[in-house]
Amino acid sequence: MQTRDDLSDDLAAHFRARVAAEPELKPYPLPRRILAVIAAWLVPGAGHLLLGKVGRAALFFVTIVGAFALGLALHGRLFWPAPADSPDAWIRFDLISVLWFFSQVGAGLCYIVPYAIGLGTNPQPWASTYEYGNAFMFLAGLLNYLVVHDAFDIGAGRKR
Amino acid sequence: MHVLMMILYAAIAATVLATIDPRTETTGLRVRHGLKMFGAFLGIGLLLSWVLFPIPW
Repeated sequence: MQTRDDLSDDLAAHFRARVAAEPELKPYPLPRRILAVIAAWLVPGAGHLLLGKVGRAALFFVTIVGAFALGLALHGRLFWPAPADSPDAWIRFDLISVLWFFSQVGAGLCYIVPYAIGLGTNPQPWASTYEYGNAFMFLAGLLNYLVVHDAFDIGAGRKR
Repeated sequence: MHVLMMILYAAIAATVLATIDPRTETTGLRVRHGLKMFGAFLGIGLLLSWVLFPIPW
């Protein structure tokens, strides 16, 4: 590779050696990939665990489950798509509640289990930490969508 | 309370975003990228609060 100066020559050699030393990226078998994506949605970090990325799996589990649990502890509310105010509306649901639901349900079982046992289903907007709690639960769900996407990329052999 | 929540929020977001960034292949790069992102979140948050403080609504 022809480069402009000595430093670039050194870097080019370094990257060539690194690429040669590392094995080719290979996609995982399809069933394992699908299972990893579903597991990644249900339990944050489980998809990476299935793909052998133990450290990243633990990190995602602690941060995302921790954020969701913190949100619940701060009196956040679990949202469900609410019906529209007007019965004549062309969309039957209140759109903002659909978006809030979408962002929270990204956390998988973190949303489903508390919802099933009635935790966080009674709104407490008078609590001083109510909005903080909601923000942490939105964050957890939305970050988990990115983690699911990351598990898909690793399974498809696009990244390590 | 508000600053504590902002720090926690920034730490969680920066940790996950730095880990899944495809440009960071090693742990060292991830840590450096995460710290930069965490600093940027806090810095931008404080700057915005300072800019918006005089606005009366």
